Amino acid sequence: MESLAASSTAGILLDLASVVMLLCAFACLGSKLFDRYVAYYGAQSIVLSFAAAVMAVHDHDVGLWVLAALTFAIKGIAIPLATRRFLLERFHLKRDVSLSTGLSSSLILGAFLTAFAYLAIRPQTIPGDLVARAVVPLSTAIVLLGGLCMVVRRHTIAQLIGWLIVENGVFLGAIATVATFPFIVEAGVFLDLIAGVMIMVAFVSGLARQLAGASAQELRGLSE
Amino acid sequence: MSALVAAVICLPLASAVAAAFTARARTLGAVAIAAGLGTLAVAIAIAIRVSDGHSFTAVSGFVYLDPLSGFFMLTIAIVVALASMGSAAYMRADEADHGLGPLQVRLYFVFFALFASMMLAAFATGSLGLLWVLIEASTLASCVLVGLEADALSLEAAWKYIIISSFGVTIALAGTVFLYYAASGMGGSPTDHLTWQFLHAHAHGLSGQSLRLAFLLVVVGYGTKVGLAPMHSWLPDAHAQAPSPASAMLSGALLNTGMYAIVRFRAITDLAIGGEYASHVLLVFGFLSVVVGTLFIVLRGNFKRMFAYSSVEHMGIITIALGFGGTLGLYGALLQTLTHAIGKTVLFLTSGDVLLRFRTRLTSDVHGLLGALPLSGAALILGSIAVAGSPPFGVFLSELTIIRAGFADAAPALAIALLVLLAVVFIALVGAVAQMTFGTGPPRVRDRPYPDRASRLAAATPLVAGLIGLLLLGVWIPAGLNSLIMHSIRVIS
Repeated sequence: MESLAASSTAGILLDLASVVMLLCAFACLGSKLFDRYVAYYGAQSIVLSFAAAVMAVHDHDVGLWVLAALTFAIKGIAIPLATRRFLLERFHLKRDVSLSTGLSSSLILGAFLTAFAYLAIRPQTIPGDLVARAVVPLSTAIVLLGGLCMVVRRHTIAQLIGWLIVENGVFLGAIATVATFPFIVEAGVFLDLIAGVMIMVAFVSGLARQLAGASAQELRGLSE
Repeated sequence: MSALVAAVICLPLASAVAAAFTARARTLGAVAIAAGLGTLAVAIAIAIRVSDGHSFTAVSGFVYLDPLSGFFMLTIAIVVALASMGSAAYMRADEADHGLGPLQVRLYFVFFALFASMMLAAFATGSLGLLWVLIEASTLASCVLVGLEADALSLEAAWKYIIISSFGVTIALAGTVFLYYAASGMGGSPTDHLTWQFLHAHAHGLSGQSLRLAFLLVVVGYGTKVGLAPMHSWLPDAHAQAPSPASAMLSGALLNTGMYAIVRFRAITDLAIGGEYASHVLLVFGFLSVVVGTLFIVLRGNFKRMFAYSSVEHMGIITIALGFGGTLGLYGALLQTLTHAIGKTVLFLTSGDVLLRFRTRLTSDVHGLLGALPLSGAALILGSIAVAGSPPFGVFLSELTIIRAGFADAAPALAIALLVLLAVVFIALVGAVAQMTFGTGPPRVRDRPYPDRASRLAAATPLVAGLIGLLLLGVWIPAGLNSLIMHSIRVIS
């Protein structure tokens, strides 16, 4: 089997950033406090912006610098801040009690998913000319862990953070494999993300007003 | 042509602009109707220009129109025009009943406009990345409509909708990244690698392994928006809880926008690695959707949910037709897209009338609709007969074409299975609707459900126009439309 190890400095830094991002996803999965979810997501996004900056230095690409700056400002700072201010503080949300699976079993599930990502994305299927080839299975694992977060957590805020982690995973994969989309597309993706988070925050606060807990566990009115 | 494209994207926004100045449903409805009809006229003009096989490119491929986009644009513009009339009437009735406050009326027209505009813009771009951006934007606009009533149930439906489809389209973004990657070794600028024209022309050079993964991710991702089983779970809730004209837009327009993306990716995959792979993937998802749709239609329960499951079933049929492929299959798929869009718009607009009059969504609580609301009752029974695929309506013709495609594709067993499922749907759907329309119900009251003459007219026109359209498509396909569909098929095969 071919090795996934990176040789260049940029490759090593990119691998390191991906591993830290994976750990952030695990930390989120292993936590029970809303404040922590948001903090880990913020940390993960800042590491993502670092990864984008590494690629920007490597490729001498202005578009990637802009992407790194946008990621840092929007995902690293603005979204965590807005979630704290408009949801956690306003509705005094502290501890997530609506878990469908216990913390330890969800961590074990997460470990299985990470192993699965490595098995599914075999090194020989990854093109050899990438800067850091371990990033592809790692970003797949982050996507899967974000999905797991959305499944094992019933609270709407946890689901929101889970989706954002999935999004970070896709972005990491995109940065590592294709470096950059045409700028107009990237800007559009960011606009969608901002609009999406704004609408979701509005829905969560609407639900928090109606249901006291805003947990998707209480969302049973429509089940058939 | 550039002016026409700009017009078709900007015209629907007129009612959003008007909503900045007034919150009166009557004024906003009138603006929305004018905007909707204007959009339809421009879309027809665009469709005529591309119906002879011409395509149009501007801004290095970011703006791109070919017969296929012209066809989908026409379909969606028809739905927008019909639904804007429905919206005018429905919002006026809700305002008169104090069901919705002034802010909600404003929000409805703003997001209805954005929703329509984003979908129409999605057909006018050749960049598959921008297509993703616009489809996600249309999802976001439409989920505000789903959560508009702001009670616990509609917020729940809206939450389910936004979280599931955002997750889905994020998967589609990963698919788009892989497609972009599959093209990365080729010549041309990086911007080209994401445009349909380049990818279609150079499909043979794409890396097969990345493309397989890309197609699967795209079908799962955009399939979530199309409502393919098993990713359909948001669809019945969102359709049931949205205001009825918005449900019509979801079913008739939004689902087709997702399908359009799948059609484009299917064409690239077919050209690059042969038709077998894409065909198998689509047939599996298509059949699963038809089976799930059929099972839940039999349950009846809530009539808006029943129509929503009928959308799942129809999207499954279109996916199966794409899987059968060939000229016959693709013709059936495109015709079915148009006929289903019109038929389902009529059904959801009628269900809005029923909801306003009977104040229930339960099928078993509605009786004697024909007596209480003669026009809506007639539209409901004729519309469901049409949607269930009975002659002489257009859906019959498109479903027949698809089943013929199945036999031609040497898959007679699949075609027969589809035929059996369609028969079950017909019995269940028409049976449930017959129960609602016939029998004795509440008496006919002149002013209900719509408060004035103008809104009664706005409510009735789309029903009559839609049914006449369906009837016409069943007996006669205009030469222009036929040529548009044939050229669309040439684009994607």
